Amino acid sequence: MISKVLIANRGEIAVRIIAACREAGLATVAVHSEADRDALHVRLADESVCIGPPYANASYLNITAIIAAAEITGADAIHPGYGFLSENAHFAEVVQECGLTWIGPPPSAIRLMGDKATARRTVAAKGVPILPGSQEPLRSREEAVELAQAIGFPVILKASAGGGGKGMRVAHDARELRHAFDTARHEAERAFGVGDVYLEKYLPAPRHIEVQVMADRFGRVVALGERECSIQRRHQKLIEEAPSPVLTPELRKAMGDAAVAAAKAVGYEGAGTVEFLFHDGQFYFMEMNTRIQVEHPVTELVTGTDLVLEQLRVAKGERLSLPRRIKLSGHAMEFRINAEDPETFAPSPGTVAFLALPGGPGVRVDTHLYRGYKVPPYYDSLLAKLIVYGKDRAEVLRRARRALSMFVVEGVKTTIPLHLKILEDKDFQAGNLSTRFMDRFLENR
Amino acid sequence: MFTFEEICQLIRLVAETRVGGVELERDGAKLRIDGVPLAAPAAAVGTPLVSEEAVQALRAAVTPPPAAPAPAPSPATPEEAESEDNLHFVTSPIVGTFYRAPNPDAPPFVQPGDRVRKGQVLCIVEAMKLMNEIESDVDGIVVRIYPENAQPVEFGERLFAIKVS
Repeated sequence: MISKVLIANRGEIAVRIIAACREAGLATVAVHSEADRDALHVRLADESVCIGPPYANASYLNITAIIAAAEITGADAIHPGYGFLSENAHFAEVVQECGLTWIGPPPSAIRLMGDKATARRTVAAKGVPILPGSQEPLRSREEAVELAQAIGFPVILKASAGGGGKGMRVAHDARELRHAFDTARHEAERAFGVGDVYLEKYLPAPRHIEVQVMADRFGRVVALGERECSIQRRHQKLIEEAPSPVLTPELRKAMGDAAVAAAKAVGYEGAGTVEFLFHDGQFYFMEMNTRIQVEHPVTELVTGTDLVLEQLRVAKGERLSLPRRIKLSGHAMEFRINAEDPETFAPSPGTVAFLALPGGPGVRVDTHLYRGYKVPPYYDSLLAKLIVYGKDRAEVLRRARRALSMFVVEGVKTTIPLHLKILEDKDFQAGNLSTRFMDRFLENR
Repeated sequence: MFTFEEICQLIRLVAETRVGGVELERDGAKLRIDGVPLAAPAAAVGTPLVSEEAVQALRAAVTPPPAAPAPAPSPATPEEAESEDNLHFVTSPIVGTFYRAPNPDAPPFVQPGDRVRKGQVLCIVEAMKLMNEIESDVDGIVVRIYPENAQPVEFGERLFAIKVS
């Protein structure tokens, strides 16, 4: 049983989780740093606890402080949101050892999927397609070169413990690879404390397509369709949509089955996302994110579900409330509104002097913004997610233009003008997307 | 409740107008100021109409009743705003549960009025079954202890006020 949920996060996702808890009739505890005293999640939660100074290392990443906050408030469950401690297997274990309910997958599944080389091997054994590459972390530069010559250049080196683009290096020939090997190992060591790297065939311009899964304790694993997230800059997604403009029903079924197989391979529970690279009608497992994702609302809109409510249900030990056959209907697109200069992408903290949120048919805004809110400089720049829904992609594009043009934030710079420009792009309109789209788009400005 | 300023103003008014006095009631608080009527023998020239003692007595009277013997009044009064400048506050470095003594049977580490030295343990804040001893970072006298024993405290919450010596 759960009666009071502590949310170990901030920003829009903390507000989103409070909303789900309210609907489920659960009390909420917000935790916050000194910089977030006036944050919306603190106001909206039933109780709040200051857990540390502004820097996340001492507050939102401080396991002891978060557990102590749960103890003093009598919270009996912890929802980690995304980022921060959400994919920290050790934290999940501590939560459980303290007798609290962890609203997330089993720590063992987090740990297994967190090691990218192991994850690759594990899902491949279940027949999930992977890109040609190394099965184990590479032992030497020469081993890397030999393997690269066998599968053909270009190749990409990735950190086993990695994520977010750190420790990744592309090599087009043996000379580049020898050099990249040391750099990647060094970068991985510094970023993750483990220098292990592995190698994969590099696709120059693939699509990023991911499948949402939900699993309960009774062995039921459901795929909820895909999200196309090819519009990224430096591995940070900017626009996501569902369904993908390129997937046929057959491919969707095949990817859904592969995602379910990957989740089952690690005994998954709760919400998760299996990420694939897609190229020339083929898909390849990239990694699994063992948490709720930023872009989950696009899936909610096309499937008519509430994924955070499902997470709570699964954590309580209940069965998924999802229908036997997930029906996709309509089209949804999410635009990340970041506190960034739309030209230079420099972070833009400051005070929100004026705010007007768009509404009307097919428009949802997930945000922690309010007029007068001070955007602190210490955290992620995500201010709001504009999610637009329509009967088809063409309607969504029209609605998105309307909603973005009626979305007014003054006092801080945002990515709204950038999104409006992307909407004018012919390739974007036609659904000709790839992870190189933003490079091309920004070069041609 | 009446503020100290309001009462001072009333006293001045009563003194200047030489009325017999004034009686007021607000939010259940009663206030009566007796004046020196014109008919009565005039006070000696040069003597202040409102003595310093009267002001001191009033000051004590306006202090909220429950906090009567407390060394420091509530932060809303102007007195504390002044005196906070001379005080050093020890705040909680962690979120947890505040304990004044090393165990339930032991006497408290410190009491108000105690002289403490830098590095001296003032209390324990327990987080995840770990007892974290909180030390004084100054030499001085403990003026006030904010949380009750076994009360939860947040990061940065005031635990002690210490008059630095």
